[in-house]
Amino acid sequence: MAARGSCPGCGSAALVEDAHYAQQQLVCAACGCVLAEGLLTTTYTEEEHLREVAYSQSTGQKEQLSRCLQRGIRRVQDLCKVLQLPMVFEETAVSYFQRALQHPCFHLVSLEKKELLGGCCVFVTCRQHNWPLTMGTICSLLYAKQELFASVYLSLQKELGLSVPALSLGDLVKTHLNSFRLFQHTADVPATFVEDKEKMVARTMQIVELASETWLVTGRHPVPIVTAAAFLSWQSLQPAARLTCTFARFCKLAGVDLPPPAHLRLKELLEILLRMASQLAWLRVFNMDKKTVVKHIGDLLQHRIFLLKNAFCLEDGEEQRATAPGEGSASSPPADGRRPLLPPCLINPRKRLRTAALSASDSAITGDEPISDSEIEQYLRGPEEIRAFRKAKAWS
Amino acid sequence: PLTPMTPMTPVTPASESSGIVPQLQNIVSTVNLACKLDLKNIALHARNAEYNPKRFAAVIMRIREPRTTALIFSSGKMVCTGAKSEEQSRLAARKYARVVQKLGFPAKFLDFKIQNMVGSCDVRFPIRLEGLVLTHQHYEPELFPGLIYRMVKPRIVLLIFVSGKVVLTGAKERSEIYEAFENIYPILKGFKKAS
Repeated sequence: MAARGSCPGCGSAALVEDAHYAQQQLVCAACGCVLAEGLLTTTYTEEEHLREVAYSQSTGQKEQLSRCLQRGIRRVQDLCKVLQLPMVFEETAVSYFQRALQHPCFHLVSLEKKELLGGCCVFVTCRQHNWPLTMGTICSLLYAKQELFASVYLSLQKELGLSVPALSLGDLVKTHLNSFRLFQHTADVPATFVEDKEKMVARTMQIVELASETWLVTGRHPVPIVTAAAFLSWQSLQPAARLTCTFARFCKLAGVDLPPPAHLRLKELLEILLRMASQLAWLRVFNMDKKTVVKHIGDLLQHRIFLLKNAFCLEDGEEQRATAPGEGSASSPPADGRRPLLPPCLINPRKRLRTAALSASDSAITGDEPISDSEIEQYLRGPEEIRAFRKAKAWS
Repeated sequence: PLTPMTPMTPVTPASESSGIVPQLQNIVSTVNLACKLDLKNIALHARNAEYNPKRFAAVIMRIREPRTTALIFSSGKMVCTGAKSEEQSRLAARKYARVVQKLGFPAKFLDFKIQNMVGSCDVRFPIRLEGLVLTHQHYEPELFPGLIYRMVKPRIVLLIFVSGKVVLTGAKERSEIYEAFENIYPILKGFKKAS
C-alpha cells in the first residue's frame, strides 16, 4: 500500500508499508531504505491480526463480571473498609459473595436481598475469624430489617455449608466498649464520670464472666448484658460520684443505645451480686440493697468462686427438682436460704396453659371410627341461618 | 472461662436408655379430596369455616373433636394440623372430608399422608448452649434463644433450650422422634457431667 512522503535516501515517492516478521516498517520501494518501523497501522482491520485472541473466544466464558456482581463486590469491599477489617477478611468475604451469587438459590433474588447477601458474607467472615461483629451492627450499616437479614444469613449458611463459630463474648466486650464515649473529658461528660478504659474493660469482662457462670447469658441477646455489665463496672469504680446516675443517663452520656432487655439484665445481675454479698463476712452486718452493693463489686468479683459456691446450691438442678415434686414452681427454699443456680427461666417459670397429654381414651383412637351424621351436622348452617348470614354479609 | 468445651462423644454408654419419652404435640397431614371446591360456598354453608380470599386463598375450618384445624383449597387438596397422634389426624381429616361431602361436593379421601410430626420433652437439667458443639448446629442468641441442631440420621431438627426442654420436628414417623431423642440425650447428659 502506498504511503505519503518521500524517501530521504533516493527521493522516491514510492513508499510502501511492509511487515518484517511481525513488525510493520515503512520502506522505500526504490532503494529499500527503512524509513520507520514499529506500529504503523492505518486501519482497524490491519490491527486485528496483531491482536491476541480474546479470552471470551478461547474459553467461551465472559471475562468481564456482570454489573450486578461488580456492584456487589464493591459494596462488600466498602463494608469492610467502614468496619476497618483486615485485607484477608475482604478477600474471603468477596469470595463467599461470588460463590453465593453463582448458587441457583441466590442468583435471581431481589436487589435488596443481594445487598443483604454482601453484608451476610462480611458477617460470616468476621465470625469465622472471631472478630466480634453483631448482627445488629451489620443491619444498621445496611439499613436492613433484622428478620430479612436473618433469613438471608440462614440460607447462606445452609447453601454454602459454612460453619460459623459462636460469638466470642470476651471480644464483644472490648469492641462494644470501644464505642463508649466515657474515656475522655468532654463538654457533656463531667470529670467524675470519665473512666480509664483498661480498668473498665477488665471489670466489665469479669462481670460478664460472672453473668455467664450464673446462667444469665445462655440464650439471651449478648449486647444488653454487656451494656448492663459496663454500667455496673463504671459505677463501681467510683461509686461516690456515680451512684446517682441512672442507667439511661449513663447510656446517653456514653453515646450508646440502651436496649430494652438491658434493664432486666441489670436487675438479674444485681440479684446475683446481692446474694453473693450476703456470704461475705464483713458485709453481712450491713443491710445491702441494690444501690449499696455496687460499692463492693470489686470485693465480690475478687472472691467470686468462693461466694458463688456458698450463695447458691451448685448441685445439679435435677436433684433439686427431683426432691420437690408436686410442690409446684414456687417450691420451698432450702433451710440455709440458698437458691439453686439455674437459668432465670427455670427459677421463675412462666405459667403456661399446657394442653393435657393424650388421655387413655385418646390413645385408643384408631382413625377408622365411624363418624355420625349428627356430629357433622352441628358444623353446618341451617337455611334461616344462611339467609340471615347473607343479609348481614350482603353477599350474592 | 468463656472458652467453649467440645465433647463430641457421649460419656454415658449408648445402651443406657434415657427413660424419657418425647410427647407428640402436633401432627400435620395432607389429603386429596379429588374434586374442585367452591370456597365461597363452603364458607357460607359451614359454621366452622373462615375465608378471607384477600389474606389467604383457602378456607380455614376447625372441629372440636379431635381439636384440629384444616386448610381447604379450591383444588380439593387439604392440610390438617393440630392433632396429637397419627390416628387422631386421620380421624380429623375424615371428618373434614365428611363436612365437605355434606355440603354437596363429591369429596373422596385419597393419598392421606403424614407430612410432619412435632414432639417435645424435658431432660430436667439446664444446658450451656454456647458450650455445646455439634456439627450441623446453629446457635445465634441474637436471633433465637435455642440451639438448632439438624441431625442427619434420622433427619430431624432439634431445638435445644437452656431450660433443658427439647423440641423435635421434621419426622414422618414417630419412631424417628424417639430415635433422635435417644441419640441426643447421651450427648447432653455427657456434656452436663463434663461441665
